[in-house]
Amino acid sequence: MIKVPKITLLDVVIMLVVTGILGYIGYRITVGIHYKWNWSAIPQYLFRIDKNNGGWTANLLLQGLFTTIRLSVWATLLATILGTVAGFFRISKSLFKRLLGRTFVELMRNTPPLVLIFIFYFFVSDQIMSFLGVDDFIRNTSERTQSVITFLFAPPRFFSAFISAAITVAIFEAAYITEIVRAGIQSIEKGQFEACNALGLSWRQQMQYVILPQAIQRILPPLAGQFISTIKDSAIVSVISIPELCFQGMELMAATYLTFECWITITVLYLTLTLSLSLAVERLEIFFRRSTA
Amino acid sequence: MSIYQCPSPNASTNTCDVLKYLIVMLAVLWLISVGTERLGYNWQWYRVPRYIFTFEDGHLAAGPLILGLMVTLQISGISLLLSFAIGLTAALFRLSDSHAARFLARCYLEIIRNTPLMVQLFFIYFVLGPVLGIERFFSAVLALSLFEGAYTSEIFRSGIVSIQKGQWEAAYSLGLGRFDTYRYIIMPQAIRRILPPLTNQGISLIKDSALVSIIAVYDLTMQGQVIIAETFLTFELWFTIAAIYLAVTMTLSVLVNFLENHLSVQV
Amino acid sequence: MRIKPSSPEDIFAGVILAVITFFMVCFVSPVLAGDIQNKLVAESTIEQVMKRGVLKVGMSTFVPWAMNDKQGQLVGFEIDVAKRLAADLGVKVEFIPTKWAGVIPALLTGKFDVIIGGMGIRPDRNQKVNFSIPYDYTGQAIVANKKLAAGFKTLEDFNKPEVTIAARLGSTSVTAAKQFMPRAKLTLFDDESQAYQEVINGNAHAMVGSAPTPAFQALKYPETLFSPIEGTFTKEPNGFAVRKGDYDTINYFNNWITVVTAEGWLKEIKHYWFETKDWESSIQ
Repeated sequence: MIKVPKITLLDVVIMLVVTGILGYIGYRITVGIHYKWNWSAIPQYLFRIDKNNGGWTANLLLQGLFTTIRLSVWATLLATILGTVAGFFRISKSLFKRLLGRTFVELMRNTPPLVLIFIFYFFVSDQIMSFLGVDDFIRNTSERTQSVITFLFAPPRFFSAFISAAITVAIFEAAYITEIVRAGIQSIEKGQFEACNALGLSWRQQMQYVILPQAIQRILPPLAGQFISTIKDSAIVSVISIPELCFQGMELMAATYLTFECWITITVLYLTLTLSLSLAVERLEIFFRRSTA
Repeated sequence: MSIYQCPSPNASTNTCDVLKYLIVMLAVLWLISVGTERLGYNWQWYRVPRYIFTFEDGHLAAGPLILGLMVTLQISGISLLLSFAIGLTAALFRLSDSHAARFLARCYLEIIRNTPLMVQLFFIYFVLGPVLGIERFFSAVLALSLFEGAYTSEIFRSGIVSIQKGQWEAAYSLGLGRFDTYRYIIMPQAIRRILPPLTNQGISLIKDSALVSIIAVYDLTMQGQVIIAETFLTFELWFTIAAIYLAVTMTLSVLVNFLENHLSVQV
Repeated sequence: MRIKPSSPEDIFAGVILAVITFFMVCFVSPVLAGDIQNKLVAESTIEQVMKRGVLKVGMSTFVPWAMNDKQGQLVGFEIDVAKRLAADLGVKVEFIPTKWAGVIPALLTGKFDVIIGGMGIRPDRNQKVNFSIPYDYTGQAIVANKKLAAGFKTLEDFNKPEVTIAARLGSTSVTAAKQFMPRAKLTLFDDESQAYQEVINGNAHAMVGSAPTPAFQALKYPETLFSPIEGTFTKEPNGFAVRKGDYDTINYFNNWITVVTAEGWLKEIKHYWFETKDWESSIQ
């Protein structure tokens, strides 16, 4: 028997209301404000013909998308390292370490990310970057190294800005990863810890051989979710002119004044990126659930 | 020694640790001041207080920063209430029998949770604003409510779903309709469980409200940017603004903790 | 006390010591005097730029001073100026697009060497940075919304509390608006285009910006915008901005500006970017 979907009153009401709203919006766009749609101007910002080799290369919008992906990947990697360390601090037996961990998490989680970005942008990049002398090093390496760096990070002229943005986002995300790691480790049954004690294992051995292998399975899915969060939070670095996707959107709007097409395109690009990653994360969760069952 | 076998903390190790912590904090502050000196930055803290409050004709007047804080609190408050309304509706839609309602709620959640708030703000202000004739303040409130509403709806949904099935069955056997079940049985219990996470949303809102400065709403962050653009007191003002936000959110956190301890449900 | 007779090694060591001392005395004094000078030169931005081989320029998108063309490359009046400057220095040029409101703090924290971006010379900015001599003069112009500002003909018409003026955060337009229209409400944006969008959408009565863009916008959107006042109502010198205390660099820039002005090159490119519209096709 084919199951016929039941149409309830709510269905009808909703469909009427939604159609009404869309109709009103359509009316307002065409009649109310005389907006002149110009979708044909958009594709040239996605792809362009490279004068050098005549093929299609990515233009501003796609370049912004790639920068967003690179930024999120590096920020998540750094944040995982920092977050794991801070996570261990949070559950350490030393009050000193616990206080440090708690301060870090509370500071980062209670300050608006926008304010943090501005503060870090003026501090972090100078202190750390000039300390490492990265700028000049990058400039003087060979062509091939530079192209590798451009693929992995950013073109040499944006390199230090990119790294500062990555570090800033990483510090901010690390606060959330700390909590994920902490929750993961604390979710391991007490019996495991007691068994380790009974066997006389040191803290390091306990972590390495018993606790972490189990905790990692519980930490990975929320961690992947945090990665997707990072992609969204990376939009904030557009205020410090890092050429990622949201920034390119603002530039596009500035160049063409095609607000509607521009923001619809940007939204679609973000959705494509995050929805496909969400699907991948769901697969990951199913995989881990099966292996722990 | 494992985590669960800590030596019983006695007063002297505690004070020792606290002292070490204070030393580290002071070292961090010292590093900051040394670092900026190297940049040739000249701290001028004495210029900051006039932006917080001024004495005019013998009484206290709020400076631009406090005015911005008022706007921030205003936007956050209104958005919080609106986001509760939106979140509750979305949660109920997701749990309803109607396909259209579930589909609509799902679309809303997926779009809002997968795009950055900045993009949503620009979209609503520059695209929907002219179309629907909404002006700046309300665009900001709408964008924030829609954004937080998506997360609030998950909280509401988890609260409703956590009520044992027995309650639903008892209500059904008493002959209560769906609406009445929600109103008298489910929601009162659910709300008690989810009040702490809901108040956490308030803290989230205050943080995310800083973003409305990109559409030139004169909240705390925007006021700060305007003052910095004129006076170049970059570091002093950003730290002051961060401190003000921290003060507000910490106070709310304390409130959340209080609620959590007094409303904890013994299941 | 008996003086020990000197062995050959001792004599040899003594001679070496004397020679070294002689050289030190000869060279140390002038070195000490020239040391401060050398340090100043070595720390000067120009020296560092030449050593590095790259001139880092901070700027912001400002039509037509600096814009992105369709290939994603930066073009504009300031871009040409910076490229010529780098070429004359014998180094490459790197542009660091920065939020305009934060461009001076970014310069102060060392993110780039110089600001070449249509930056107006102003006393309050001069307290934080050093400026070169002016290489360009701009003025503020105003463009208004036809419906909201109907019938407004002078700046005084805009000087009312119900009037909203949009401008770019951190630019001299803000100062000009505050000076001529102190009672009007100001809405400030990071980007000029967002400010224009405000007026086009009818959320602001007018926009104050550096000429010639307001006039261009009025031509582009004749149904919604109009120019209440022809031409500019202020005159502002633009200069290069560098960190304070760097006489070497300022001297270089000042002389460079004098030379290219005398050549007529500056006038030529100013005419191209500001008075003709030949470049429009490459960015649209």
